[in-house]
Amino acid sequence: MNPLLTFLVVLIGLYGLSTSKNIIKSVFCVTITEAGVILLFLNLGNLEGGSIPIFAEGLVNIVDPLPQALMITTIVIGSTVTALALMLCIKIFHHYGSVEWDVVLRDGGEE
Amino acid sequence: MIFIPVGLIFIPILSGVIIYLFKHRYVNYLSIVAQLLVTILVIVYYVTFKESYSDTYIVFGLWDERIGISLYNDALSLSFVMLSVFIWWMVLLYTLQTKEEDYNFLFFLLFLEGVFLGLLQSNDLFNMFVFLELTTLLVTILIAFTKTGESFRAALYYLLLNTSGVLAFLLGIILIYNSFGTINVQIVGSMMSSVYDGQILIKFAFVLMLAGISVKTALFPVFTWLPRAHGVAHSAISALLSGLIVKGGIYMFLRITTMYEGASFAYHDFFFVIGGLTALIGVVFALSQKDIKQVLAYHTVSQVGIIMMGISNINQEIAYGGLLHVFNHAFFKSLLFLGAGIIVAQYGTKKIHDLRGVFKTMPFVSVFMIVGMLSITGAPFFNGFISKSVIKYGIEGNIRYWILYAVNIGTATSFLKLSQIFFGQKKQVGEKQIIVHYVPLMTLSFVCIIFGLMYIPISDGFFGIDLTYVKILKLSSFVDYGVTLLIGYMIYVFVVKKDYIFIKRLRMFNLSFDKANYLFIIYIVVMTLYFIS
Repeated sequence: MNPLLTFLVVLIGLYGLSTSKNIIKSVFCVTITEAGVILLFLNLGNLEGGSIPIFAEGLVNIVDPLPQALMITTIVIGSTVTALALMLCIKIFHHYGSVEWDVVLRDGGEE
Repeated sequence: MIFIPVGLIFIPILSGVIIYLFKHRYVNYLSIVAQLLVTILVIVYYVTFKESYSDTYIVFGLWDERIGISLYNDALSLSFVMLSVFIWWMVLLYTLQTKEEDYNFLFFLLFLEGVFLGLLQSNDLFNMFVFLELTTLLVTILIAFTKTGESFRAALYYLLLNTSGVLAFLLGIILIYNSFGTINVQIVGSMMSSVYDGQILIKFAFVLMLAGISVKTALFPVFTWLPRAHGVAHSAISALLSGLIVKGGIYMFLRITTMYEGASFAYHDFFFVIGGLTALIGVVFALSQKDIKQVLAYHTVSQVGIIMMGISNINQEIAYGGLLHVFNHAFFKSLLFLGAGIIVAQYGTKKIHDLRGVFKTMPFVSVFMIVGMLSITGAPFFNGFISKSVIKYGIEGNIRYWILYAVNIGTATSFLKLSQIFFGQKKQVGEKQIIVHYVPLMTLSFVCIIFGLMYIPISDGFFGIDLTYVKILKLSSFVDYGVTLLIGYMIYVFVVKKDYIFIKRLRMFNLSFDKANYLFIIYIVVMTLYFIS
């Protein structure tokens, strides 16, 4: 896959973050941005027709294992962020009866 | 010796897990034991570091240092580690209670300590990312701990905005890895001098990483999460966030800009302007607020701006003033938040105009609060004065000087407004606080005064920097402070107290989440245009 294509995923996520008025949508836009970043890094470490990075005889053209090792960590952290954010969404819905940013953040600082 | 940096990360985390598993009131005291152990280890480590400067760079698991996980310590990171351990002591003592339900809170608090100490010591960029994101998660949980609707929405706002910032940081790391083939800060820093001017990817990595850090540090366009979060959290957590966690971003800024030293980018002016805007906007918003914790939270924004104005200076001596202000701000802002926490708990309201007669009701807390207020406004003999003088030094008559002066006047005005809570008649308030709550306040006030008086040996001992040119007993500094207070009082009486319509508008101002992200993207674009052109 072309790295520029994955960068497009990041841009889609950022566009969603800066336009969506719904809390659930914002949470998923963060996830989309994260997916784009992960795909970009995996792409940079990828090698067309390369073999898997394990200790074995006769492997040539081994792909870079470091991006994969790092990105599995990022995926774990990302799922934690999503889980925590959705939990907070449930709590917010119980308190405000809505998941729209405008309704929830209304009468923001002071009355 | 090699186990000490690892121990600093894992002792708090493991003891937090044990406290969470046993759920017993006596096991809760393990937090104090762990904290004592961490303190002893830090002191031992610092002493050996001062003697031999060895064991400061550890690579784990016998990996090649280009790909392995590594920890690195120098004078900067160790001073931050000591500051963190000190502030955690204060917060632990302040929250020390013997209830069983505390195990939850202590678990997250100690976990955060381990993660934050890891952030300060880690030497590869990816570990920095992991620790930054873990800090964000844990702070989110701690903000939401009061379990009110306001705290939930503040926590979610904080979580999502900071996560998008940290993702920008991750994107920067990817570009660094793509260009250098390693993410070890030391090695990337040594390769940086061979970077020629045209390598756009490396500059873009700089832009993305610093944009991400700006969100964590609450710089000008992306500071909106801070007052929201710090205003609603438990007072001890607000003290921790304002005093320390925000400084984690400043620390990252110093680390990344040191890494880029070889490439000699001209970032100083840009971050001076951003710092100045942050300081001014923070003060203006602070003047419009009526809630004591919101006022203190907006002052954190403005003080972070002052720190940024200091450390972005190309002159190392003035940059040191910014670093010193990190420490001083940690002390006096924690003091103010903890004191405000006691006052708010006893009066049962956060509104400044309902808090009256504090001095007669709670004389001890008032004295400590006054020490904090004198420090933040930069009175001679207190620590704020020293760092502000160092930042001001050498830029007199400059436009930069007047920006700082305006911020100082705003700070004075705002704390004159806040000091109105001391006047008035005695009030009947809730139950007495236990005496252990006063210990952190007393210690912090003591440290504020010590740093204001003994600044020469302290800065010489820790950083080897000579501050003898800062004189306290000079008539001009007293006159300066008096004039600042006078102008501040005039502004308070004639502008702020009248509560004009535009002040009301400012108070009602509230930035939606999508607009905050929009500003963040604009910030990245502006930085890109400034640095890559």
